[in-house]
Amino acid sequence: MGVLRVERDAPTGIAARVGGVAWRDFDLQLFVYAVLLATLGLTMAYSNTAVQLGGEALQGGTTFVRGLIWAMVALVAFAAAAAFDYTWLKAFSWPIYLVNLALLVASLALGSSDAASARWVSIFGLQFQFSEIAKILMIVVLARYLADREQRLDSLSAIVGACLIVIPPWVLVLLQPDLGTSLVFIAVLAGMLFMAGASLRWLGALAVATFAALPLIWTYVLHDYQKERLTSFLDPAKDPLGAGFQLLTAQKAVSSGGLLGAGLTNGAQNQSNLLPVQATDFVFAILAEELGFIGCVVVFLLFAALLWRILTIAWRSRDPFGLMMGAGVASMILFQIAVNVGMVLGLMPITGIPLPFITHGGASLVSIAIGLGILQSIAMRQHRAEW
Amino acid sequence: MSILETPLTHERRPARFVAFALTAVLVLGGLTTRLFAMQLAGSPVSAPVPAAVLPAVEAGRRVMTEPVPSTRGLIYDRTKGLLVENVPTFTVSVRPADLPLTQRPQVVGRLAGLLDISATTITETLDGATGSRFDPVPIAHDVPQQTARLISEDSLTLPGVEVAVEARRDYLDGSLFTQLIGWTGSIDAAGYASLKSQGYLPDDRIGKAGVESVYESTLRGTYGVREVEKDGTGRTLRVLSTTTAPQAGNSLVLTIDAKEQRLAQQALDWGLKKAGLKRGAIVVMNPQTGEILAMVSQPTYDANLFSRGISTADFQKLLADKDLPLINHAIGDIQPPGSTFKLVTGSGVLADKKLGLTETVLSKPYVQLGSSRFYEWNQRGWGPLDIKSGFAHSSDTFFYQLAQRLGIDRLAYWAGQYGFGQKTGIDLPGEAAGLIPTDQWKLDTFGQAIFPGEVLQAGIGQGYDLATPLQLLNAYAALANGGTLYQPQVVREIVSPDGTVVRPFTPKVIRKIAAPSWVFTTMREAARRVVTSRHTYNLADLPIVVAGKTGTAEFGLRDKNGVLPYHNWFAGFIPKGAWKKDNPTGDVSKPDSELAFAVFIYNSGTLGNTATEVAKYYLQLHYGITKDYRLPQLLKHTNFYAGGR
Repeated sequence: MGVLRVERDAPTGIAARVGGVAWRDFDLQLFVYAVLLATLGLTMAYSNTAVQLGGEALQGGTTFVRGLIWAMVALVAFAAAAAFDYTWLKAFSWPIYLVNLALLVASLALGSSDAASARWVSIFGLQFQFSEIAKILMIVVLARYLADREQRLDSLSAIVGACLIVIPPWVLVLLQPDLGTSLVFIAVLAGMLFMAGASLRWLGALAVATFAALPLIWTYVLHDYQKERLTSFLDPAKDPLGAGFQLLTAQKAVSSGGLLGAGLTNGAQNQSNLLPVQATDFVFAILAEELGFIGCVVVFLLFAALLWRILTIAWRSRDPFGLMMGAGVASMILFQIAVNVGMVLGLMPITGIPLPFITHGGASLVSIAIGLGILQSIAMRQHRAEW
Repeated sequence: MSILETPLTHERRPARFVAFALTAVLVLGGLTTRLFAMQLAGSPVSAPVPAAVLPAVEAGRRVMTEPVPSTRGLIYDRTKGLLVENVPTFTVSVRPADLPLTQRPQVVGRLAGLLDISATTITETLDGATGSRFDPVPIAHDVPQQTARLISEDSLTLPGVEVAVEARRDYLDGSLFTQLIGWTGSIDAAGYASLKSQGYLPDDRIGKAGVESVYESTLRGTYGVREVEKDGTGRTLRVLSTTTAPQAGNSLVLTIDAKEQRLAQQALDWGLKKAGLKRGAIVVMNPQTGEILAMVSQPTYDANLFSRGISTADFQKLLADKDLPLINHAIGDIQPPGSTFKLVTGSGVLADKKLGLTETVLSKPYVQLGSSRFYEWNQRGWGPLDIKSGFAHSSDTFFYQLAQRLGIDRLAYWAGQYGFGQKTGIDLPGEAAGLIPTDQWKLDTFGQAIFPGEVLQAGIGQGYDLATPLQLLNAYAALANGGTLYQPQVVREIVSPDGTVVRPFTPKVIRKIAAPSWVFTTMREAARRVVTSRHTYNLADLPIVVAGKTGTAEFGLRDKNGVLPYHNWFAGFIPKGAWKKDNPTGDVSKPDSELAFAVFIYNSGTLGNTATEVAKYYLQLHYGITKDYRLPQLLKHTNFYAGGR
């Protein structure tokens, strides 16, 4: 009895022809939850755009239309990643790592000599944020590294090795400067090490060391305006018309939502255009205002279901790489939800981390789609045909 | 064929999965609890908002206090003619906190197109801003009204972009007063850091040259504060109240007479043009008060270039110009004064009683000092000369011997009395002190005592002697008024916005020169004899009683013919009634002059003394004499000495 890969002409059916995959193992739930969340995001984009531009919301170039285009791109990216045999990713992980670094360096170089801030690079007229893609590439590389050392993770060296892999892209992201994404890197690293079974003692020691270093970073690394943003959430009333204004307005929007919300496009804070970045980082505040407590709970439930599916795929994976990929994507999504929604609800500092699916950002959506596509690929490739 | 699971290749850790899932449940549960508290239980969301701003926040309005710029004081000439105006201009700025990062590329791109600035420049300006993210960063000044209107009407697609009306200085006579009035420009990071506590804003404008800079605090006034209501994109909806009204700055009345300034410039420009030169200065003063009536430095530039925001190319051009347009040559250029300095040597030797009033000294072809010979400028000598004829002929060998009698330190003492080697303290930036050598100075600087030959050179304004045109003028003004050295001033009065004189004019005396008045009378008569003896022959036929002294001052390195390049100087004054329709009654023996002047021409190389021609033309224009006494043929170039020395 031998375990063989299926020959090209052996199975029947369209699905089986693409790399010999059991499409019956396609995780439909994962796909549906993701599509529902993305649809909600597009709905909020429409609500914002319609309030601002009225009937012109469907014209080219608006936030809503750009969101639609990006959703299509994300769908294609998802399908491609799912069709691709994830086991090949393991072989490609080091080239991927170099490509990742090159992209970040290029966006630093291109970005600073071009129109936008360093983290934006323009492709075919659509602005693209490479640091979003870097998160997924980073997860792939870390998954490969940790999978290779699955049995040795109670030693410090593997943990330190994982940290060393993360540091170069992390520094490049920090230089852009993109504080939010750099924090996501750290969360993903921690989540993956934990799920890989790394020694809790060493993880604890690292966490303590990091907290001990915080005062130094506060004093020597952060700019005054960054500190201002980070601390204003503690007491937004201190500067209610300046730094605390976004937070107070966001909280007002949330509070006014009530049980059922004001209904799409009816939100007072949405209409007053008072939230400076309502279309992006604070979009959850408008969602809470217009869809109410019920709407928010639905969003949370969708996120919970999605995370459950991801963890299920990770659990079922027969090899440690699949487990690590699941852990990484789940950590990323959970951390971003916690920080973004926490920020809107006044529990977390303002850091500019997008809410997965809901925040209108093309790169963010595409990067999550790629991540979910890889997980889908994992889900579909846990069975082998045998003669 | 059957389908089987591939073998499990790693250890499963259920505990970690459970822990992760629990974390997710805790996070989402915690957020839901918070949401419940905010949306359904109606619990307070944060610390209470201060009562003063509560209505604004509750009403969903965004009320901000913003500074209200004061009107900058104006600048007039002494006849109350306006020299500077405040004109409204549009400034486009971006408030970074109100510009979502995701929209930044589009907004920057649109602004770049509308304002005709490269997107890179805008991005760099935004990223380079050091202040708070709530402070507007100016992107473009002096934006055309139509563009400004386009931008302010399009605030929906240009979030965070603000258009403000701000006053720009318009210098009405372009380049005529640049070196005096100066200009205002955007405050730089270092300036802002030091002036922040005085209420300056990061996008403020500040006087950067001339009296605009010296009298910055007078002109600026005090900014007010007002409350405005804004929407989320930073657009001002309305002004709610003015907390503190701005106070307009005080205005300046200059001592400068715009008409005299224009005539002085006309005279200087004519002389420079005829001689094919670029660099020179003319200063006119009232010797009885120290008031500067005209001060022209060439080359100059249009002050509006700077107040409108100079382009890098234009600025580089000004910096690279070898004739140094950014320097006020009347006060910032230190050069050897040449024979004009013989006033100091002559006054000193008389006051120290080292030379009698009628005592003669032999003017020879040269003075022998060891193996060196110090030649008379005509290489022949003039025979026995007294002080007046020695000064009139500008005899070098005569003054070499007087300098020997005085010695270097007494010479320096009298130079100091006349104000050389020290700043006059004029209320303009960029004044130089010049240099008068003493024995101690030579020891400190070069580690050796002064040579006897250097004493001779110091006696005729050569060697180490360095002076500014203003210092020279001030010395001759002191001569003209009988020995009082005034501090020159360019601002006559400070006037409040309602027209009250806040600070009237008061002459400031630096010192009474420690010489008896007969010394000055003698030297004034000697200066008059310079003209009447036809030594300065190009002034001799002018029907104006003018007294003064020419200078041809060597500097730099010898050319291939062994000849040193030289500057032209003329310093002089006219007594009261110096011209009455070809019947002048002026008398230089009286200390009643109300007009003294100095002209400096850098590296003239002309046959005659260009400075004297410029002075003559200025006097001609000043009195409105229709007959033209100018001798343009003297302004041809030559490589030998001619004219007065």
